[in-house]
Amino acid sequence: MITWMRRNLFRSITDTILTVISGSILGYVIFQVFQFVFITGRWEIIQVNLKILLVGRFPEELMFLVGFSILATCFSIASLASGMNRPIDQPPTLAGKLWGLFQRFGLIIATSAFLIVLAGDMAAVLFGAYVVLSIFAGRLFGLARRNTVLKRLPGWLWVAINATLPLVLIFLTMGQAALEEWGGFLINFYLAVVSIALSFPLGVMLALGRRSTLPLLRWLSTAYIELIRGAPLFVLLLLAGVALEFFIPASIAPDAIFRAVTVFTLFTAAYLAEVIRGGLQSIPKGQAEAGKALGLSTFRITFLITLPQALRNVIPAQIGQFISLFKDTTLAGVALSVFDLLNVGTAITKQDDYLGQGLIYESLAFVGLLFWVGSYVMSRESQRIEKKLGVGIR
Amino acid sequence: MSPQLSTPRKVPFFRDIRTLKWALQILALLAVFAMLYWLYGNYQENVAKSSIQTDLRFLDNPANFTIPGNDLDQSQPVRDAFVEGFLNTLRVAFIGIALATILGTLIGIARLSKNFMVRTLGTVYVELVRNLPLLLLLTFMNLAVVLQAFPRIENAWLPLDLFVVSNRGIAIPWFIGSPAQLGIGILSAALLAFVVAKIRIRQADKTGKQDRAWLVGIATFVVLVILIWLLFGYGWELPYVDGRGTTGGLRLDPSFFALVASLVIYTSSHIAEIVRGSILAVSRGQGEAADAIALSGSQKMRLIILPQAFRIAMPALGNQYLNLIKNSSLGATISYFELTQIAQITVGNGSPAVPAFSLTLLVYLAISLVTSLVVNFFNRRLALVER
Amino acid sequence: MSNEVFKDASKMSGGRESDDAIIVIEGVFKRFKDFEALKNINMQVGRKEVVVVIGPSGSGKSTLIRCINRLEAHDDGHILVDGTALTTDIRNIQEIRRETGMVFQNFNLFPHLTVLTNVAIGPRRVRGLSKSAAEELAMELLTRVKIPEQADKFPAQLSGGQQQRVALARALAMTPKVMLFDEPTSALDPEMINEVLDAMKELAQDGMTMIVVTHEMGFAREVADRVVFMDKGEIVEVGTPSEIFDNPKEERTKKFLSQIL
Repeated sequence: MITWMRRNLFRSITDTILTVISGSILGYVIFQVFQFVFITGRWEIIQVNLKILLVGRFPEELMFLVGFSILATCFSIASLASGMNRPIDQPPTLAGKLWGLFQRFGLIIATSAFLIVLAGDMAAVLFGAYVVLSIFAGRLFGLARRNTVLKRLPGWLWVAINATLPLVLIFLTMGQAALEEWGGFLINFYLAVVSIALSFPLGVMLALGRRSTLPLLRWLSTAYIELIRGAPLFVLLLLAGVALEFFIPASIAPDAIFRAVTVFTLFTAAYLAEVIRGGLQSIPKGQAEAGKALGLSTFRITFLITLPQALRNVIPAQIGQFISLFKDTTLAGVALSVFDLLNVGTAITKQDDYLGQGLIYESLAFVGLLFWVGSYVMSRESQRIEKKLGVGIR
Repeated sequence: MSPQLSTPRKVPFFRDIRTLKWALQILALLAVFAMLYWLYGNYQENVAKSSIQTDLRFLDNPANFTIPGNDLDQSQPVRDAFVEGFLNTLRVAFIGIALATILGTLIGIARLSKNFMVRTLGTVYVELVRNLPLLLLLTFMNLAVVLQAFPRIENAWLPLDLFVVSNRGIAIPWFIGSPAQLGIGILSAALLAFVVAKIRIRQADKTGKQDRAWLVGIATFVVLVILIWLLFGYGWELPYVDGRGTTGGLRLDPSFFALVASLVIYTSSHIAEIVRGSILAVSRGQGEAADAIALSGSQKMRLIILPQAFRIAMPALGNQYLNLIKNSSLGATISYFELTQIAQITVGNGSPAVPAFSLTLLVYLAISLVTSLVVNFFNRRLALVER
Repeated sequence: MSNEVFKDASKMSGGRESDDAIIVIEGVFKRFKDFEALKNINMQVGRKEVVVVIGPSGSGKSTLIRCINRLEAHDDGHILVDGTALTTDIRNIQEIRRETGMVFQNFNLFPHLTVLTNVAIGPRRVRGLSKSAAEELAMELLTRVKIPEQADKFPAQLSGGQQQRVALARALAMTPKVMLFDEPTSALDPEMINEVLDAMKELAQDGMTMIVVTHEMGFAREVADRVVFMDKGEIVEVGTPSEIFDNPKEERTKKFLSQIL
């Protein structure tokens, strides 16, 4: 222990000084944070407004839809994770397994527990239990896939089956609620999911178009991609806020969510296209040649051989894009007056009960916590997938 | 007995592989054109119905608003306001990029330090900031720091007696004299210093001594700047509190400060990762080879590792700079009068929205393009000459 | 060297059971930008014949067999595969690709599919067999190349020699009339070369028409009916293995052989 300290902290005079300085900075910050969170912070504002922070003014009767989509998402993620057709190295002892789970999910569990405690009612605790149950069920489903007859299911079909239920529920939920009514953290999440789901087909087409041999098609795809990538998302949202109605038939009246989803989809598609193009470029020519030698048509070669491999190779980059989009959904709050988490967070400090009390710190801290946990966990999982994809080579 | 080779029949075009190659793509192209045509049709129809302008005539209309910290007259055309906004965006961009690069590089190197505490501090900073939305940081800077934490002008903070910090902004000491002249002076000093350093290197190469060219260069630069300063009679001005504001020095708008601060903090975390990644990417063999020819630690860094790391990092850094420029558009959310805010206000004052925002978009595209070109230029110059 | 001689290739000494030529190549040229890869190639391959093509790198031997299944397009001349002319007509091209199978130097197995699916995908998607029929056929072929137990694994989990045998099974699954081999063992570790060559020898004994580009001279001696030596895009010399290896006539052949034997 002492040798470790000597080597890593007190190597030389300058080293010692650096240790002292950075140690004190770190210590001071941690102390202040602890003090704020546990002692001086006035968290009543968060407790009282928890519902609108998380789901906005979502109609009570339809809350079950939200609940179901969350459960379906947890189920699918758990089953996708454990159903992957690759051997997973499991630690041998129960203690080892629990520690591994804690490392991976400890943060989410802690945050959810925190939220449940804040909410302070039985319904929340019950819902927490449901979530745990659905995760277990998902894991069982995934394990079933690996060990039974379901093993023969091709990868894409497995992903499709798992993705359908939550996506359908999410789309349904978005369609149901009268859209001025809802917001909060839920809407950040839903906007991101819907936009990236819709942007996938467009992104694939743009990537293929960018690699086309027909100059005009290639030029058009490149022009679209470069135009979008050179434009600030905020300005695009502002433009959509006033201009979108001119480009669609007069019968459709676009509301804020419609505009947001449109812009996010068109925006993400351009970035996704570049990611997918990188994936396509990484596939060796021999793959297409082998397909040709077998007599497969060009269409089949692209969609059975090249594209699946390309998409799988860039999964980490795609997740990175999703995380960026997730954080960017906050822009819809200011540009289009969508009541997303950040917008609600700043709005609640202006409520009559809380105006002028400097509660902005508590509010932004809560908002920051939710975003931070979401991003951090997703990027850590993406790193894990990246490592796993590199495995499996003899 | 070779089989008879029949003269090949004319291949029907719909089975000819040469036409089929294009067929699908031409179909796709037609689909795209059809969609564009439909969109254009909708646009014409809807615009005709609402009878709004769709061209750029609005640029000549009077602005009807003023920009704080600027002497733009209300009656000046919108065009001038746009120019001001553009200049403000450039100001934010330059300062933001410079500060973010410095801070990001320091933190990136800190993350590679052998000192555990320093390393941890760097990691905490990067992991914390990277996962937060920029808008959150900006809102925090604006509402929580500048408007909340900064004191009112009566109780302004006076760090080192040189600055005045309040919720009206930050006033810093500034020079008295023509900025353009000083700018040219500094640039020429830099050029001269560069030349002197080059001469020194050539001298040192002949004798085999340490050139310490960067010391020589910096010394020359400093001496030249001081000379210019004294020669042209530049003075120094300290700000002080004067009633409800400050006098003297340069006053930085509170929203300017908030915008630059949040952009710098956010971008520096990404730059730190890039710097760290690029230093790690220089293969171990390079460091080992440097050790084998007995280069000292700082020589190894300076001559071998950092130049290669810089080459690797350039494209990613360029990308971050572009992001910073695009993210500056968020200044509109805290009423800093950069380009996007100007556009929003003129639209609020009656300018037609589509042309105004489209113009804004085009300006950003132009800035992006120029920045990309500059970065690509440096990229190619630095690229390793390959077989 | 006159190329006229090859018209009656099947009658050359040492020729095997070849009634009529299944592959006819006449006056074929192939240019890449500024470089002529194939110059006036004339060659015929009879049914059930095993032709081994040797030559230095850059001699055009890979280009030649890749022209046969249209992975490269020849610029002049005619190519005929089992009576079908290789033109720009996509129907002909698809037909020829169905009837020829190719084994690549780098295996080119599809890494995201299981070994079984790799072999079954051809019959399933091109010949239109049902999934179960295709998989049954695939298992048969995997047994034939002696690795049926690997069926549910992924290519990355197999050794190089096993992967190449899967590639062989994949090509055979299409029941081709001609098998093309593009340096099938060049990317293998030495201890695995033999398992692949053995499989190829069995194939030859079962009567498959094969064109093999290779550096394995031992294989050529044992199995080939004819050896073709190519250099700088031309066919320099043709003969039985003993003729080429023991009594080469051309200078270039002698030089090449002295460098590798």
